[in-house]
Amino acid sequence: MIVDFTLIAESLPIMLKGIGITFQLLIISGFLGLILAIFLLLMRISGKWYLSFPAQIYIYVFRGTPILVQIFIIYYGLPQFGFIRSSILWSILREPMGCAIVALSLNTGAYVSEILRGGVLAVGKGLIEAGSALGMSAYQKFVYITAPIATRIALPAYSNDVISLLKSTALASTITIADMTGIARTIVANTYAPYEIFISLAIVYLIFTFILQKLFGYTEQYLGRYTKREG
Amino acid sequence: MAALNGWWDDYFWGALVIFQVFFCSLGFMIIFGLLGAIAKLSANKLAHKVANAYTVAFRGTPEILVILLMYFGSAIFLTAVAQLFNPEVKFVDIPPFWAGTIAISLIVGSYATETFRGAFLGVNPGSIEAAKALGMSDIQTFVYIRIPEMWRIALPPFGNHMLSLIKDTALISIIGLNETMFVAKQAITVTGKPFTMYIVVGAIYLGFSTVVTLSVMGLEKFGERTTAGVK
Repeated sequence: MIVDFTLIAESLPIMLKGIGITFQLLIISGFLGLILAIFLLLMRISGKWYLSFPAQIYIYVFRGTPILVQIFIIYYGLPQFGFIRSSILWSILREPMGCAIVALSLNTGAYVSEILRGGVLAVGKGLIEAGSALGMSAYQKFVYITAPIATRIALPAYSNDVISLLKSTALASTITIADMTGIARTIVANTYAPYEIFISLAIVYLIFTFILQKLFGYTEQYLGRYTKREG
Repeated sequence: MAALNGWWDDYFWGALVIFQVFFCSLGFMIIFGLLGAIAKLSANKLAHKVANAYTVAFRGTPEILVILLMYFGSAIFLTAVAQLFNPEVKFVDIPPFWAGTIAISLIVGSYATETFRGAFLGVNPGSIEAAKALGMSDIQTFVYIRIPEMWRIALPPFGNHMLSLIKDTALISIIGLNETMFVAKQAITVTGKPFTMYIVVGAIYLGFSTVVTLSVMGLEKFGERTTAGVK
């Protein structure tokens, strides 16, 4: 086994051309997923069964099935119905990229809403009582007390989920998207050098995971700046 | 639903493959996780470094990349070895079943390493001291004290690892494992009903996840039967 370094040097720049797609998938679905997660969270903690029950079912289904199946249902499955092909949504679902973003957002939304709920449940009861004692409305208590503290508590778990979202973007390559993994798979199909290509790509992903972890680490420190004890 | 007629038995065999992959990878995952945890807790610096590299590498790379690398990489290696003995051999591979099983158990094993490590650290030092006072050997302490105490601590995150294993099984279909995703693909080429076919796959996975979740809940109850009133 001889490692072909010239091949790595030649194909790494080609693979890195997919970086834009990988980041688009990560950022757009991360953002849409977060919004969805907040809606699901509000539904779950609303205390009304007709809101919390559908949210629970949604979370159960999307966390209980593989993301690959979800991507395939949306990309291959939905065009089975004529009404979807004639609806406005078709302009998004026609493109593999749109399908991947929809699938990843729906999936990550379910996971993130559970993480946020964990944060909300971990907020000290005393603080909320203090809010009531000050005469704050339920809305004020949520926005000024629960939300900021829950964000801080949920952040470490959220950073893990963003990293698994980064890893899930690689699955977009299964529906013909030329992200980094998709390009790598094409190169391997042509050169048949899986070691060189896949391992160098794995290192690229590791570097991104590392950067994301650092970014979240700094954010955690920043959000926790008032909670540190002196001396 | 009529489109599904004649495919139920194929789905059944596909589901059986998921089941087999799950059980084999569960065994490997526990072994990798325990080895990793023991290496991380050991005083040996080299073992510590190797275990750290293992968890960093496998937690930061997309699952699909690991699976592809395991399958195509091992195929190249085996073909090269086989050609040393018989130059006429064109292609040798590990069956996708085993390549995939090892790949997903390595991935989830890297997560389990952290879980087990935390659980071993969570064992009450008083219990270990008591075992020493009773004159138990290190092995006896490990088997009778550490393991029974740690598995209860490890169980809730371990349940999540089992769910990941089930869901990662779907990814092995990419390298040609004959499981439900593969069945769906075949069924679609015949019936032209992708949505129906993939929804069935989703339902099968949801069923597996539900069974795993319920079993973990049962095990948690079982683990708490002697400590229920203690707290």
